[in-house]
Amino acid sequence: MMEKPSLSRRDFLKLSALAAGSAVAGASQVLSPEPLQDTHKPNILIFVFDAMSARHLSLYGYPRPTTPNLEKFAERASVYHTHYSAGNFTTTGTASMLTGMYPWTHRAINYRGMVERTLADRNLFNLVGKEYTRLAFTQNLWANVLLSQFEKDLDAHPPCDLYSQVVQSLFQPDDLKHDRALAYYVFQDFLNLRSEEPHPFPGSLLIGSTELSQALITSDRKHISVDYPRGLPTVYDFAYENAAVFEGINRLIQNSLPRSLPYLGYFHFWSPHGPYNAHKNFIGIFQDDLPYHAKPRHAIAGDDFSQEDMQNSCREYDELIANVDAEFGRVISDLERSGVLQNSYVIVTSDHGDLFERGEIGHASALMYASVTHIPLMIRAPGQGQRTDYHSMTSNLDLLPTLLKIVGKDVPDWIEGRLLPGFGGQDNASASRSLFPMVAKDNPSFQQLKRATFTLLKGPYELFFFTGYPKHTDTFELYNLQEDPDELQDLFKEDINTASQLKEELLDAISTANHNFEE
Amino acid sequence: MLKRLPKPQAMLQVYAVIAFMFSAWTMVAFSWKLRTWLLTLNIGEIFTLFSYAMFTNLLESMIVLLLFLAVSALLPPHFLRDDFIVRGTILSVGLLGSLMVYLNLNRTYGLENTSTLLAGPIVVLLIMIFLLAFSSKFRWLRSAAIWISDRLIVFLFILLPLFVVLSIYVIARNIA
Repeated sequence: MMEKPSLSRRDFLKLSALAAGSAVAGASQVLSPEPLQDTHKPNILIFVFDAMSARHLSLYGYPRPTTPNLEKFAERASVYHTHYSAGNFTTTGTASMLTGMYPWTHRAINYRGMVERTLADRNLFNLVGKEYTRLAFTQNLWANVLLSQFEKDLDAHPPCDLYSQVVQSLFQPDDLKHDRALAYYVFQDFLNLRSEEPHPFPGSLLIGSTELSQALITSDRKHISVDYPRGLPTVYDFAYENAAVFEGINRLIQNSLPRSLPYLGYFHFWSPHGPYNAHKNFIGIFQDDLPYHAKPRHAIAGDDFSQEDMQNSCREYDELIANVDAEFGRVISDLERSGVLQNSYVIVTSDHGDLFERGEIGHASALMYASVTHIPLMIRAPGQGQRTDYHSMTSNLDLLPTLLKIVGKDVPDWIEGRLLPGFGGQDNASASRSLFPMVAKDNPSFQQLKRATFTLLKGPYELFFFTGYPKHTDTFELYNLQEDPDELQDLFKEDINTASQLKEELLDAISTANHNFEE
Repeated sequence: MLKRLPKPQAMLQVYAVIAFMFSAWTMVAFSWKLRTWLLTLNIGEIFTLFSYAMFTNLLESMIVLLLFLAVSALLPPHFLRDDFIVRGTILSVGLLGSLMVYLNLNRTYGLENTSTLLAGPIVVLLIMIFLLAFSSKFRWLRSAAIWISDRLIVFLFILLPLFVVLSIYVIARNIA
């Protein structure tokens, strides 16, 4: 048996220091001298762009030219046109992507939620096996909760703020060297106050009060820079420049991948998540008058933004997507030039989207319209020479079984996703397939789902079931996404046959999901 | 220098109030989270988490006590040192109580209501200042402060060993 090349955390930190600077040549001193390498297995590089809706990418036909570089990448990739996330925010979307299970199975359904303990081994990093060097980086604190839960299956797990410029938090997970996996629970989930949480209850009086005061002082303060007139892109505790983060990841891959074969890298970027602070070069690039379908405010929308606000935010979001696209283009060109992608699958996707309609901006509410669940997916195989388009409905649950097939592993029968078309899955299975994206942020994780928005996607139809919301409970909406992609015409009371069939199927699925949980 | 500090018994009684308030808050928060943790963490991890929380409580309570002692040493004796149990207890309850009100108001109203958020602790602090100013005049207040600090000292028999053992556990985990 070949010895697995190791990339310890200590190695990683050294490597990061190198990556941050320009001393690439020094990397050879960092990793073990000449590790034995299994060059038969392909490398996997997963790029996740947080909150990137497929509905806003010119790659998928959006009128604004937001993604010229993704389009260029797609020229030699498999492009999935009808790909859906299982959730509408980071925790559910990411957990489903990494475990191949629906939120109602893995139960990471709340803000900062975690996968149910007995299911935590059912994750991508564990399943690809120890023969892979597994590195996972995310800027998203909630995705990092999940990565921390999978810590034992990772060879390297750099901190969220690795390439950031301003770090505000009193404590960071790396402060606890030997309890890094628990650091999130100690600092973030318990002692600290998380001001973004609905009813925060910090475990420490002094730390919680200090964090609260800091949040009060800095809540309206932006980190203005010459290059970012709207302020630097910001994740709760830190601010960063996209160029620095993408360049850091670029060097990290170039330094670590060739010495750690086979290699699985998961890179989850915060942008284009809000705040939509693009680099100055991208501000004002879309001065068009994009057609806008006014939609009435939804009863469960968390806000009541004006049409003008929504349109402006939409434009800023598109600018940030263009910014991210340019950075991604630069990284992928560099990686290609350097040859590290020769035996690598490159996957580009997102955890969920954002929406700018019905009074809502972003994805904080329990609305599940397609703009927030329809996400991009592209897979470029090693040596792929041309673009292949797949229009079948697919789910982000499908990524895990597909990757397992790619790395030559058996696909466990508990996985709720299927093989993607082009990798053993059928391309014409759309009509018979049912997908169940959902959101239940306010529902206790391990009780029956009583307060939630459930979706059933089947064929051209999209059925919503809103339950447990004050003044808007047990209501349904039905749309035909092929004829009405903007979800303007509710067919629930018009197409009674379809509505009743889908309703029955959805309620059955919910009932099955609730079966093993207490009320 | 030692002469400028209060008597050890007085320090212990005030520390009992401080430690009790910190740990009571932490334990309530802990029990609030426990149900979820039981489903996502194992018992060993929950124990470690509790150890970190208690270690933090020890540090926090020592910081506040040292602050009081510094004030006691720096200010003229009649401000704090001569009546350390009564005034120290009022200060502890007032300062830590204001933080509890501050965090509780945030739980209820959120960050957007800054004025409400600040009004609560300010009211508590004003009451504390009023009580401090008249602590020598209200006999009932003196009796109450002494009674509270005297009763709470019993918790030190539990808290101090807990602090020490769990702190050693935390330190050992981080230097091992």
